[in-house]
Amino acid sequence: MVRGVPPAIRWFARVFVAATLVFVLAPLIVVAGVSVSASQFIAFPPNGLSLRWYGAIFENSAYVKAFWTSLRLAILVTLAAAVFGTAAAIAIHRRRVPGADAIAALMLSPLILPTIIFSIGLLMLWSATVGPVSFAALWLGHLVVTLPYVVRTTLAVLADSDPFLEEAARTMGARRWQRIVHVVLPQCAPGVAAGAFFAFNISFDEAIVALFLRTPDLVTLPIQIYNQIEFSPDPTVAAVSTLMMAMTVATIALIDRLFGIQRFVGT
Amino acid sequence: MRDRLEDLALAGPGVAVLAVAFLLPLFEMLRLSVLGDDGGATARHFVRFLTDGYYLGVAWRTVHLSLLITALCVLVGFPLAYVMSRASPALRLWLIVLLILPLMTSVVVRTFGWMVVLGRGGLIPWTLWKLGLVGRNFSLMHTEAAIVVGMVQVLLPFTTLSILGVLMKIDRGLEEAARTMGASFLATLRAVVLPLAMPGILAGSILAFTLSVSSFITPSLLGGVRLPVLAASIYDAATRTLEWNFAAAQSVILLVGVLVVLVPYARLTGRRRG
Amino acid sequence: MATLEVRQIVKSFGQAPVLRGISLDIASGQFVGLLGPSGCGKTTLLRIIAGLESVQSGAVLIDGRDVTAVAPEERDIAMMFQSYALLPHLSVRENVRFPLRMRRRGSRAAQLARATAALDTVKLAHLAERMPAQLSGGQQQRVALARAIVSDPKLLLLDEPLSNLDARLREEMQVELIDLHRRLGLTTVFVTHDQEEALSLSDRVVLINAGRIEQTGTPREIYSDPKTPFASDFIGSANLVAVDIERVPGGSVARLCAAAVLPVGETAPSGTATLVLRQEDLLLARAQSAPPPPGTLRAVVETRIYLGARVRYVLRVGEIRLKALAAPNELFEVGDALDVTVAPGRSRLIEA
Repeated sequence: MVRGVPPAIRWFARVFVAATLVFVLAPLIVVAGVSVSASQFIAFPPNGLSLRWYGAIFENSAYVKAFWTSLRLAILVTLAAAVFGTAAAIAIHRRRVPGADAIAALMLSPLILPTIIFSIGLLMLWSATVGPVSFAALWLGHLVVTLPYVVRTTLAVLADSDPFLEEAARTMGARRWQRIVHVVLPQCAPGVAAGAFFAFNISFDEAIVALFLRTPDLVTLPIQIYNQIEFSPDPTVAAVSTLMMAMTVATIALIDRLFGIQRFVGT
Repeated sequence: MRDRLEDLALAGPGVAVLAVAFLLPLFEMLRLSVLGDDGGATARHFVRFLTDGYYLGVAWRTVHLSLLITALCVLVGFPLAYVMSRASPALRLWLIVLLILPLMTSVVVRTFGWMVVLGRGGLIPWTLWKLGLVGRNFSLMHTEAAIVVGMVQVLLPFTTLSILGVLMKIDRGLEEAARTMGASFLATLRAVVLPLAMPGILAGSILAFTLSVSSFITPSLLGGVRLPVLAASIYDAATRTLEWNFAAAQSVILLVGVLVVLVPYARLTGRRRG
Repeated sequence: MATLEVRQIVKSFGQAPVLRGISLDIASGQFVGLLGPSGCGKTTLLRIIAGLESVQSGAVLIDGRDVTAVAPEERDIAMMFQSYALLPHLSVRENVRFPLRMRRRGSRAAQLARATAALDTVKLAHLAERMPAQLSGGQQQRVALARAIVSDPKLLLLDEPLSNLDARLREEMQVELIDLHRRLGLTTVFVTHDQEEALSLSDRVVLINAGRIEQTGTPREIYSDPKTPFASDFIGSANLVAVDIERVPGGSVARLCAAAVLPVGETAPSGTATLVLRQEDLLLARAQSAPPPPGTLRAVVETRIYLGARVRYVLRVGEIRLKALAAPNELFEVGDALDVTVAPGRSRLIEA
């Protein structure tokens, strides 16, 4: 801290930060707490501890099915987002096409324009042209939501890279595809990997697109949770939620271990 | 110009996906919003929204809650960002990660958490009851307060990190100089740091506001059916009453509202950067 | 090794002209330095030779073959970038091997062997497994150099090879580059803004200013015989003084101002001209007699800058300021009166 900060202010700052953290994390901690509750009522603090709700997840076929749907979806979305997003980021970074800025704006726009609008639009368009909603429609919708993340993290890494590497590779005899494979892609790799992790996480957790592009047979895990919350909540919901949170934490830890999270959070 | 072709080929698939699955649906909504029963153009759906007190109330609720949420995010975010900017890099990183954690969990999970905290018997009503302020069955669920609380939790990182980014770039020497010129710590904050942090505050606010206005799941679960926001009204029209054109019109109104805030801001920052 | 011919290269970036008709003929095995101030176009010329920039008109011929329209990767050249451009994700050895790999020259084992040999040449074989980020600046440059010679290119291009190095490393590198050239005999073109670098390394110096070639020649020629005001100013640290040439019995003199006259060896036509006096060519002595002896300028020391091995003085002759570089054995004080002469045969006249 800057020397000369009055102690009263320092004290206030500590309390303030602590209170804010409690506020921000409380619901998550509460959910974890409820998940180990012994009773079937949702209450925090829980009366009695038990892991039975975690077991109950695996007996609930709806949850299990929703989990596999979400997993399959997230994997396929991540693969496509990684490939398309990286390619687009490379094109944007090079700035050789006149529309590079417009392409960048387009690729990043789903981050700030309301998700609900294009979700409904996609549903209506799909129903009118292709037919009943299918896995492909959901995959497409999730791709829209995740592509911007891959593009953003990859662009960030490319922005820091040596701008002369490709030219140097040309003077060393590297042809077009050789330069992409041997120079550009290795440069992007950390950005792509981080973007892919984000994409996986976001797809798995996503609830708006999945809310519209669903059928009784096509339910993702968050939507299944949403249904349970609305109609018959019991601590199983908390258990599933806690597992999802654990997955998120693991993802962040993995990104940090492999690349250092500072890179993407920009300190 | 093989270079250009190469880059167009690279960007092609991504652009195609967004054009087909993002832009086209937006245009479809635009089209549906002005589609009359006879197949011709009509402003009927918009008129319906803009002349019905109920819907105007929904729009007003959405806007004024979002303004409140944004204001709170800035009020909490600025001091938080300042503390983070003066903290050690390790501590700062931890704080950033913890701040972002709710963002990275599913919206249903964290909203469920709020339901437990704010609902009957939840931590907060229980505390208030123990303090003798409310009855035993008090619940904060299905109130505007609940919506605000839930939204601030998830939008706080946007304002905080935006302000943090700007604060990190401010020359520390300026604050020290102000102190040597006789300004107290708080006065320095107000007269030196705050004005310089404005771009970050503005950027963060714009982002928080547009995300808040577009939000659906958290306001719906925490506010309940009696306190719909615009996104909930759209959902209702699209899935329950199946008034697709009306849903489209509301969507267009939401989109226009968001663009009205974003576009001038983008122009402003774009121009400044030359 | 190859010959390089550059014909009438014209290059503009948008509306701004950068090269206004450059022509050069470089023989096989020559070590040529492109010297000039920032913005003169020398780096652009180098990049054009490499194929990294297009031209509005003109041609580049390597070994007689017109490569103007040929992509860099097909030109069989090697280029060392100012920032070295080492591939950060490959080890030192893999970096050096890269050109052979891209051009598919020989088996993997053969490529690795040649890479190791190139590393031996720059004395870095012991760091072959390290990653570029683990090396110092000087070591990184050696790797870039090894990578440039490994494929036995027709042309070796160096962009500001010594600029990023501190004084000591620069000297080492100078010696190494000269040595390398002697051993391998590669046709080499390098770019620099530093005249000392150009003079010390080159067989031939090409002085470029504002997109045109001012002068070419051996380092000696350029240094002792600059032919244009720009050349005189840029090479060596010369004083350029506007003078009036007057005929006197026995030859001509240059009048700097009222009482300051210097003999000039050549019979020059009367009129105005520019007198070029190198800082190191001015001989300084403490003023003895009241009026200065003929052929001497009376000057007053205005400023003295001690440089260690030498001393720089700013002298006043009437209204004119002259800079002089002298040895530090006799130090003059500010305000001292000096008699200044020009070392025999070292004053030059050029067109005004």
